[in-house]
Amino acid sequence: MRTRVTRRRAARLTVALITATSLILAGCSDDSSKAKPGGAANSSITIFNGANGTIVENWNPFSPTFLQPTEGLIYETLYYFNLAAEAAPRPMLATATSWSPDGKQLTITTREGVRWSDGQPFTAKDVAFTFDLIRRTPAINATAIKIVSSVATDDKTVVLTFPKPSYTEEPSLIGYTPIIAEHVWKGIADPAKSINQNPVGTGPYKLKTFSSQSYVMEKNAAYWQPGKPQIQTVRYISLATADAASAAFIAGQIDWMSSFLPGLDQLLKNHKNLTYVNTPALTASIFTCADAGLGCSGAQTDPAVRQAMYYAINRDQLNKLAGGGFAVPASPTLLLPDRDKKWITDSSLVTVPGGADPAKANQILDQAGWAKGGDGIRAKDGKRLSLTIQTVTGWSDFISLNDAMKQEFKEIGIELKPTQVSWNEWNNNQVQGKYQLSLDSIGLGPSSNPFYTYNLKYSSATTAKVGESAGSNGNYARYRNATVDKAIATAAATNDENIQKQQYAIIQTEIAKDLPYIPIYVNSLLTEFNTDRATGWPSNDNKYALPASWKVWDNGIVLANLKAK
Amino acid sequence: MTLTTQAADPADTGATLAEPSRRRRSLPPMSTKLAIGLTLGGLILLFGLLGPYVTQDPSLVHDYGLTGPSGSHWLGTTQTGQDVLAQLAHATRGSLTVGAIVGVLTLLLSAFFGVVGAYAGGWVDEVFSLFTNVMLVIPGLPLVIVISSYVPDKSLWLVALVLSITGWAGSARVLRGYTLSLRNRDYVIASRVAGEKRWRILTVEILPNLIPLLASQVVFAVIFAILGEAGLSYLGLGASGSFTWGTMLYYAQNGLALRLGAWWWFVPPGLMLALFGAALSLINFSIDEIINPKLRNQTRAARRGWRMSRQQLAKAKEAGL
Amino acid sequence: MRHLFRKIGFYLVALWAAVTVNFIIPRLMPGDPVDILLSKLGQRGPVTPETRKSIEALLGAGTHQPLWSQYTEYLHNLVTGDLGVSVTFFPAPVTSIIEQTLPWTIGLIGLATLISFVVGVGLGTLAGWKRGSWLDNLIPVTTMFQSVPYFWLALILLFALGSIWPVFPLNGGYDVYSVTPGWNGAFLRSVVYYGTLPALTIILSSVGGWMLGMRNMMVSTLSEDYLLTAEAKGLRPGRVMLRYAARNAVLPSISGFAISLGFVVAGSIVTEAVFSYPGIGSALLQAVSGNDYALMQGIFLVITLSVLGANLLVDLLYSVIDPRTRTRG
Repeated sequence: MRTRVTRRRAARLTVALITATSLILAGCSDDSSKAKPGGAANSSITIFNGANGTIVENWNPFSPTFLQPTEGLIYETLYYFNLAAEAAPRPMLATATSWSPDGKQLTITTREGVRWSDGQPFTAKDVAFTFDLIRRTPAINATAIKIVSSVATDDKTVVLTFPKPSYTEEPSLIGYTPIIAEHVWKGIADPAKSINQNPVGTGPYKLKTFSSQSYVMEKNAAYWQPGKPQIQTVRYISLATADAASAAFIAGQIDWMSSFLPGLDQLLKNHKNLTYVNTPALTASIFTCADAGLGCSGAQTDPAVRQAMYYAINRDQLNKLAGGGFAVPASPTLLLPDRDKKWITDSSLVTVPGGADPAKANQILDQAGWAKGGDGIRAKDGKRLSLTIQTVTGWSDFISLNDAMKQEFKEIGIELKPTQVSWNEWNNNQVQGKYQLSLDSIGLGPSSNPFYTYNLKYSSATTAKVGESAGSNGNYARYRNATVDKAIATAAATNDENIQKQQYAIIQTEIAKDLPYIPIYVNSLLTEFNTDRATGWPSNDNKYALPASWKVWDNGIVLANLKAK
Repeated sequence: MTLTTQAADPADTGATLAEPSRRRRSLPPMSTKLAIGLTLGGLILLFGLLGPYVTQDPSLVHDYGLTGPSGSHWLGTTQTGQDVLAQLAHATRGSLTVGAIVGVLTLLLSAFFGVVGAYAGGWVDEVFSLFTNVMLVIPGLPLVIVISSYVPDKSLWLVALVLSITGWAGSARVLRGYTLSLRNRDYVIASRVAGEKRWRILTVEILPNLIPLLASQVVFAVIFAILGEAGLSYLGLGASGSFTWGTMLYYAQNGLALRLGAWWWFVPPGLMLALFGAALSLINFSIDEIINPKLRNQTRAARRGWRMSRQQLAKAKEAGL
Repeated sequence: MRHLFRKIGFYLVALWAAVTVNFIIPRLMPGDPVDILLSKLGQRGPVTPETRKSIEALLGAGTHQPLWSQYTEYLHNLVTGDLGVSVTFFPAPVTSIIEQTLPWTIGLIGLATLISFVVGVGLGTLAGWKRGSWLDNLIPVTTMFQSVPYFWLALILLFALGSIWPVFPLNGGYDVYSVTPGWNGAFLRSVVYYGTLPALTIILSSVGGWMLGMRNMMVSTLSEDYLLTAEAKGLRPGRVMLRYAARNAVLPSISGFAISLGFVVAGSIVTEAVFSYPGIGSALLQAVSGNDYALMQGIFLVITLSVLGANLLVDLLYSVIDPRTRTRG
């Protein structure tokens, strides 16, 4: 594509245009660079994980600003939780776990034959040290796990003791805690602030070179999974915009990235080597400030209004206009209909309706006493049914959602006023409860057990009065329901899935009626691949990991699984 | 502060040293440049004023997205099927509103702090000048975010206000420099010696000479405001709820319009911006010629021949008065 | 001499005022850095409500100092060159981020401004010398480029010369795939090659202004009596153009140049966003979106210092060029 001749000509053009001597050098740029030879011997791929601007070195997995490959490529966990599918946790550095009957003691059997990237053997002592360091250092205890003790009873057994039954902590303990090397970290004075310049991990890759615009990871030759990884080096780059990313991807400079690119099929039309996978995972929803008792104001505090909106949304149209046709139906239970089938008891609550049902919406509003006024907008007690919905400046698909819903709601007599604010302000409004409606997504929990979504989003423990901060990613809707609270508490106290399922059924009935979060659809999660240099990417037939290039942990699984071409 | 790399236009500084002739208030001579500039500017203004009344609702979405120009949509549609022509009409109105607000505010602020300060002299000048310099160095970008955080919906007015607050200082500096050199002119000193009142000297002797310079400063302020707004919008910090050329470009860029070949979405707002800017520049050329009579159509070749046409003679006479 | 001291004192006061404003602005911004970091963290993976405590412990936030003591501490730190620790790039100090990014911005935008100035003034001189020539008539066209929104022009050029005809690279400051940063020929060549298109767009959109200003000053200067004298003496035209006319006409442009140098840092934001260039402008955008007070203040300080420095230079130049502005009534 890029030949020496064309580049020379460009350089000459430059010189003629601006007669600047300093730019003459442009003609001499060496060209051998762009040729990336295939084959396993020196296979290399490039990843764009959403980084923009300058990159600052930080390989400390306990720091909030570590670079993404730290978790997954360098450090590993005891188990891997695949959130893309309903699957049992996959053993990584551990081979078995068991709880004591009272739920206060977790015994972990660690894997044998694993070595750190500096050659030292990995043992249960490293695991015990990791949890003990977290116990001793509040600043790195991100999940605030209360641990009484962490002891290695022999070279392959660790026993963790907790002050109370802690079944629900299991995923974050075994699936999200990076296991570090005792011989390295015992010498680090402040584990929260170190940038861990020469990371030593057990993962498939180790750091090769770093610069503020790009860094390269190289294969860990002594990786414990035989024959993996195949790709020799992995490069991460930084780009400012989705446009820049799409340009680089089409030019073949990026092998793996996850950006929502409008018109994706059209963009990739003439490029056989470029492909993508869509793994919808996040439920786009209208968050409502639901409880007037906690200080919420506006018509959305009336459950009838929320139900009417639920039925007035034409999700098929929204998917076409804003979702690029890539979104899939959501569930009124706020779970993922496909992955979480086994957790949804009531079959009528599996998916949301596709088309709009204005008749039903009108009926609900009429019954609740909202009468249509002269301007076509309903009113009750002299108050017009007018609601403000906030979204973030630049989130173009959400802005399109608002534009379309404005029209859809008008038909049933609800006036929707979209506003766009900065991300900080939007987030702040949600945390503080200072909004009427807000577009956001329901994130993924640490495992596919619905407990994590329900506990965060619907428990009155994670909410606060309007004006006070709710828990992070917590109950921003200010939803309070004693029945739900009780069911969550019951489910937390057991690890019997059948009991949990009964409790979740209670929660699902309540929230599908109250709708503090009005589900729209499960948004697309598009990941683009270049199959020129590597194959074996996750696909919809083989969802062995969440393919998103920005996802920690999963990226290590994907990279270890790739085949060089 | 504008987001363009060009901070102060050299044309302004160039004008600073030009000899002003006293109390000359003639209208600019009608040249081709001026005629083109006025026509172009007028047409765009008209489009912005009347366009929104005859086009469709710019936010109305349709089930078909990204279609090229056709009978029902003269300039095609956006990703969500919104009519580009309707958006362009509303955007023109929005951008012109920003330009107008900033123009007026810049005029008032820069005239007050530049002219009054320089004329009064002493500590007033020191304080005004200090204030001007401080305003010159405040980064406008974060100021936009700060101010908008107090208003839930960032309106056009707000963005215009911020652009004026961060943009007038440059003009004030230019005006101050010019006023400083005016107030030491013989005729000003003469009227002071003659015992004229200070405000009278300012309004009668100094201001009329400043009018062309003020006009050119306003024209530049309008150009930079519209460009500045577009720049802010491109970074996602513009007037979010309303239509301007900048926000249109922002959405087009976000929708990868250029890469998907949707030129009808990406090109028109930029072109409108360029055309309007060009129109104002052409008008400014004519204003420059008033500020600086030497720029008028007398060429060196003509002068080298030591010949003067009747017209030029008359002009020279007029200038000498 | 007294005049000089007055000026410098004046600028010190301006510096203090600007620094104080820089202190206040970030503190008026919405959102708490802890909340923002938490929510960003939440986008990457699951976090529990308790994470807040660990982040607070990490940032040393939560201890609510009175504003006044924050201010005195801030001034003290500024004087000692300690700009604090960035939240976005925790635990990297702000100075190291500025160190990393500023050279790119100065290298690209500073150099482009310089080239634009030299080319613009050169062409302006010729246009003013030969009024009515084709070059002179070109001026309205070049000014038109100035009214084109910079990013629009840049995006179109990038699309045309980067994607359709891949003549120039698409993004970045150098070829990250094959070149190691450092003082080696391959790296420097790569930097120049990657900087060419961004520089070109800056020059294209700013050269018109310099050209017009210089041309107008040339025309004014050419009607001065001393030029008539020079011509009457029979000096060579080239000498008259350069030594007599251009030398005097260029002075206001030089002061304009000093001012525009002050805006190099501030003006870099859009350029760097279009070309994914690794300069200080993109760092500022990141700081703003992350409510990173310390980093914002550090970058504002760089902007403030460069603008004030440039203005001081202009003021000093002006008293040399035009003695009338120096004398005070």
